[in-house]
Amino acid sequence: MKMRVYKLGVAALVGAFALTACGGDAAETPKTDAPAGGETSAAGEAPAASAGDLNTTIKILAPSYSDSSQADWDRITAKFNEEYPNVKVELQIDGWDNFSQSVQARIQANDYPDILNDNAFSSSAEAGLLYPIDELLSAETLANIDAGLMDNGKGPDGTQWAAPDIASARMLVYNTDIFEKAGISEVPKSWADLEAAAEKIKALGDGTYAYGMPLGSEEAQVESSLWVWGAGGNWTDGEALKANSDVAVEGFTQMKKMFDAGYTQPNLEDNRQDTTDLLAAGKLAMAIGHGQVVGDAEAKGIKVALAPVPSKDGEGVAIGVTDFIVAFNNNDADRKAATAAYLNYLYSDELYEPWYKGTGLLPVTTSTIEKGKAEATGNQGAFLDALSVVKFQPVSNPAWDALQTALQQNAYKIGTEEPAALLEQIEAQVAAQS
Amino acid sequence: MSLIATPKMVEQTKKRKISGGWETLRALPWLLPTLILIAGVVLYPAGLMIYTSFFKYNNKGILRSPDPVGLDNYIGKAGALTFPGVPIARILTNTVVWVVVVVLITVIVSLLLAQFLNKPFRGRKLLRLFIILPWACSVVMTATVFRYGLQQNVGLFNRLLVDTGILETTRAFTKDPTSAFWVGVFVAVYVSLPFTTYTILAGLQAVPGDVLEAAHVDGAHSAQRYWHIVLPLLRPAIATAALINIINVFNSLPILRILQETPGYHTGHITTTLMYEYQSALGPGVSSALSVVNFLFCLVIIAIYLIIVQPTKEVG
Repeated sequence: MKMRVYKLGVAALVGAFALTACGGDAAETPKTDAPAGGETSAAGEAPAASAGDLNTTIKILAPSYSDSSQADWDRITAKFNEEYPNVKVELQIDGWDNFSQSVQARIQANDYPDILNDNAFSSSAEAGLLYPIDELLSAETLANIDAGLMDNGKGPDGTQWAAPDIASARMLVYNTDIFEKAGISEVPKSWADLEAAAEKIKALGDGTYAYGMPLGSEEAQVESSLWVWGAGGNWTDGEALKANSDVAVEGFTQMKKMFDAGYTQPNLEDNRQDTTDLLAAGKLAMAIGHGQVVGDAEAKGIKVALAPVPSKDGEGVAIGVTDFIVAFNNNDADRKAATAAYLNYLYSDELYEPWYKGTGLLPVTTSTIEKGKAEATGNQGAFLDALSVVKFQPVSNPAWDALQTALQQNAYKIGTEEPAALLEQIEAQVAAQS
Repeated sequence: MSLIATPKMVEQTKKRKISGGWETLRALPWLLPTLILIAGVVLYPAGLMIYTSFFKYNNKGILRSPDPVGLDNYIGKAGALTFPGVPIARILTNTVVWVVVVVLITVIVSLLLAQFLNKPFRGRKLLRLFIILPWACSVVMTATVFRYGLQQNVGLFNRLLVDTGILETTRAFTKDPTSAFWVGVFVAVYVSLPFTTYTILAGLQAVPGDVLEAAHVDGAHSAQRYWHIVLPLLRPAIATAALINIINVFNSLPILRILQETPGYHTGHITTTLMYEYQSALGPGVSSALSVVNFLFCLVIIAIYLIIVQPTKEVG
């Protein structure tokens, strides 16, 4: 018994030393930083006059678009640091799968990134955590961003909370060889055409699926939006969002019809990567996709072409998705000034072009879009052209986050449940959160 | 010893009490760091969790209003137990099934394995080493191996099942909530076995040989010897192993999180994975509320276990 008490005592003592040692470190670090911090806050009211004097740290949180994402940002930072040598840039790159959790963790820890690259902005804007982005971007930069894409970053009251930094257009990607084999001469335009084409592909009987419908948590909102738009509607009902409108039910009914007839891949909870893999393996005839999907298929030697997404009455639709740059308000004029300078570097032609190319998606500034169109080969040009006709999801509506989540969690159930009942449940989940 | 206390004994007890209080005080400086640590990493987060569960957040974790919302996060319209589309009764049942089945199978298989490993044979050390492997590997890694292995088109396990004629065509095991749940049970048993086996093996090695010998001489056959002597002596080891497993399995997030590829509030959740789902979809408020419920639920399961099994009861 005695022995145990001693042991415990020793363990506690060691623990105590370890704790104080750690504590000592932690306490010292701010001390060394303190004078610098004091200076910046003294100068805080009026940002430092010349670029070299700006002495602060800005933080960036960005998703990983591709393996080169880190290097793409580092290139901008290097250039930025030539003019602002005393601004430290802290970059954190996280995968898309859990990106919203990374953002959530930073917000809850009150450690707002100065620059956040994300696909949503409305809830942060609604909570008043953001600077309107036009306070930071120079007039020149603002003018250079495509106006149609820029509108997508406006809040309900018209405040420009976010600036698009990358866009992607989704179109119908189809395997030309399979189309030829099945004897489909014309690309389907209406839902009736689509069903007829799918029937022919199914009749081939070689295990080829006609249409890839990824309703897993990654792409469900995009895929289901396209069917609702194809039915001629939208998620919006005046100012509010409504999931179970009649057109939405019509769109979902058509999705169910496709699945029930055996035109889709067997698992609706597949993610986009699953259908992309099928397409690249030559086992899928049609899917909605963007540049990366086409790239993956072409890399495997599959011949694909692009067309507008079929709709009920044959008038093609295309969906555009933009990701955004938002700037969090950290109540620090120096950080704001440095953030503004950094963002203007990001959007400068010289640095933006390699940056957007690294993502494998489409640019948002008019100068690079023009340049891209001039240089584009094959399918890439079609995506750029589509950018001017695409329709966007209602991302600026504060309720969209909830609807998007509900779609990601439920849309795949269309295979087993009735469209109206399913959409009613989605609407109930969205309504419960308002 | 007589049951009647002598005055001397009373005196001694008093003394011990006084010096006991003094000793506690003297021990305090030594215990303080540990107590601070416990307060910092156990009590504070638990308190914060309960506090958080009474406030409304959005899914980005931004506080929606500074006023507490009462039990809204528990049973409100977007509450943890009442959110539309969540099969909560099924999920609670799943949780009980998950804990009971995994722990029961683990303990039974571990008893067999430990018995086997306790026999002297050539290569025993090597085999003991192999048994420990699933424990040495990260659970996330093990679950990921199973997920990939069961992938419908390229998974090796799927191919094995088809090639051996057990299945006619490949199946997407991890995309159906129910089958994924049972794959999860299998993996959970697999990763829980080493610890349980070793705890029981340690217990087996402590069973004195002379007692068994005496029983043998008295004419008890092997089943009787096991049932009447070995098993009762193993009671403390089994109790420890089972209790630790219950807590571990109950809180196990990664296995089902990785093996369930179905999104949303499907019928293959347990409360722990539902908590994670809530955290990203509804934010920390609702998630904390479920966490509090989860904690109480775990206490109930442990209480039931203690009442039924009475593991602390002395060997009769």
